[in-house]
Amino acid sequence: MPRYAMAIDLSLCVGCAACAVACKMENEVPPGAFNLWIRERELGTFPDLTVEFRPEQCLHCENPPCVPVCPTGASYQTPEGLVLVDPKKCIACGACVAACPYDARYLHPGGYVSKCTFCAHRLAQGKVPACVETCPTLCRTFGDLDDPNSPVSQALRQANRVDVLRPEMHTRPKLFYLNAPSKKGLSKESEVRHD
Amino acid sequence: MTEFYGLPNAQEFWHWANALHFVLVGLAGGMAFLAALLHLKASEDARRYTLFALGLIALDLFVLWAESPARFRFTHVWLFLSFHPGSPIGWGAWSLALAFASALLLYLGKGPRRFLAWVLLLLSLVVLAYPGMALAVNANRPLWNALLAGLFPVTALTLALGLATLLQSPWAPYPFRLVAGLSLFLAFLYPLTLSPEAQAHFLEEGGVLYGLLLLVGLGAFARGNLAPWAGFLAASGLRALWVLVGQWQGLGL
Repeated sequence: MPRYAMAIDLSLCVGCAACAVACKMENEVPPGAFNLWIRERELGTFPDLTVEFRPEQCLHCENPPCVPVCPTGASYQTPEGLVLVDPKKCIACGACVAACPYDARYLHPGGYVSKCTFCAHRLAQGKVPACVETCPTLCRTFGDLDDPNSPVSQALRQANRVDVLRPEMHTRPKLFYLNAPSKKGLSKESEVRHD
Repeated sequence: MTEFYGLPNAQEFWHWANALHFVLVGLAGGMAFLAALLHLKASEDARRYTLFALGLIALDLFVLWAESPARFRFTHVWLFLSFHPGSPIGWGAWSLALAFASALLLYLGKGPRRFLAWVLLLLSLVVLAYPGMALAVNANRPLWNALLAGLFPVTALTLALGLATLLQSPWAPYPFRLVAGLSLFLAFLYPLTLSPEAQAHFLEEGGVLYGLLLLVGLGAFARGNLAPWAGFLAASGLRALWVLVGQWQGLGL
């Protein structure tokens, strides 16, 4: 059984949003909602300037806080480690939206909660997610964490540093950011608020 | 400077109608609690309050369904075809439904009265507890800290006893002032329990209204007919405010 994960090498990401657009197309994400978005942050002051381009989406946490709070079981984790929503059971109560530390979830106009699925429908066909396929800088890798030869395992091994968002939430994200451009790691809003 | 292509889904997810439910479920749970106690005390008020509890539970469950974007997909049936002990809302669905059933049996005079009253009492405690837990369970929301798990039950009892005072029940005014006082004391402490950044956010977003509501709440200790209204208004307002202003992720992203 694979344990799916994604890695994004921030030293290569230029924040072009091709992944975000590919996602919109592939998953027919409705206007105003996003499975995937890019956060761009300027850090530091001249001449010590850094720009972090950071695509964000569902991290398919190994310990997802969105799953246990769901009262109907619509929010669930697959054996492959995908966190998915079964719209047939979703009552759109928003408990999962409240619990997600990453703003990855939204209310679909169809009356249920939706989010990034790691393109589960494509994985079932043996394809990689649409965002991975379209990335022009090849900064995204995907695959089985338990397979040392998978693209994501190799990328993680070769990275100079590996970060995850909000590790203090103990969610154990399976979307890894490699080679964060700032020496301090991934940027935080609390660090740039003085702007 | 932070910019986006697309946007994180950080919009408000519980709107005014959900905030209304957070008020109503407080009333419903509080009324069920009072009804159960009155049955156990064999009070002549018991039947009347059981009817109020039934009405309020039904009203709240209707509001819950009516405000849900999934209402006409009729997925709510899954609330009762599954059990998820990690979900405060799941506890709420079951406790409200079973409280309604036991209150109905009590009202109709069917079944063992004392046993049903104890059942209703226990279920009403779950109803009183779950809304605060539904907020406090979200460790990622800095404003929804553990104190809300206490504030929601005591403000719920303030609502129910405020209503009972308005209904001229002679036993209501004293415990009403007691829980209103406890609510106000904890609500006064609440901002002090927040981290500095969360406190700043809270005061900026809702500080003026919060202060006003605390002041209004002090009216619960005034003499005369306005006291229960003051407590009622403050408890409702505070509950709605915590729900609406607390939908904040913090500055960790």
